[in-house]
Amino acid sequence: MPISHFFLMTLYALIVSLFFAILWRRNRRDQVRLLLQMFLGLVGGALLLAWLMYPFPSGPPAPIP
Amino acid sequence: MNEKDPVAGSPALGEADLPKVFGTLAVAWLVPGAGHFLLGRRGRGVAFLLIVLAAVVTGILLTGNLYRVLPDQPLTILATLGSMGMGAPYFFLRFYLGYQGDLTSVGYEYGTAFLLTAGLMNLLLVMDAWDIARGRKE
Repeated sequence: MPISHFFLMTLYALIVSLFFAILWRRNRRDQVRLLLQMFLGLVGGALLLAWLMYPFPSGPPAPIP
Repeated sequence: MNEKDPVAGSPALGEADLPKVFGTLAVAWLVPGAGHFLLGRRGRGVAFLLIVLAAVVTGILLTGNLYRVLPDQPLTILATLGSMGMGAPYFFLRFYLGYQGDLTSVGYEYGTAFLLTAGLMNLLLVMDAWDIARGRKE
């Protein structure tokens, strides 16, 4: 099975958001609202963090051939 | 004597029912969502079961680490307690299936996160069931 980091991160965010939406809210409308807020916050936050970290080197420089 | 919970329409347990409360909590820990199911929140109980199991199955498919206590690594005690929070699935995986995870797998770290999260989610469910059983929460 090919593993995509983005897919796994999205799946994780979906599971956690769904869990807390059902745990913390009773009304269906409030549940959907919290689900969207948490899901978009997690995925968007991760993408924003990744974007901010993009200029930083990820490891030692590759050897010059 | 049970008093009726006016909000949810299911019994809120009193002091005399503490053994029943702890029994419910034990079942809630062993089977994710079962506490809510027994307390009359059947839809939510089933939803929680599916969510926690989805996290467990994903973690296994990614061959993540099912934490156990390692010598000279005290943090594994906390991680093991967190993972054991998933209840019966932890013991079934560890002792019946002999599941260990695969350190060399590409999805190892992700799988570990899913498995640990499943345990922590179920611990939150147990605490939520406690609040519901004591009549502190809907």
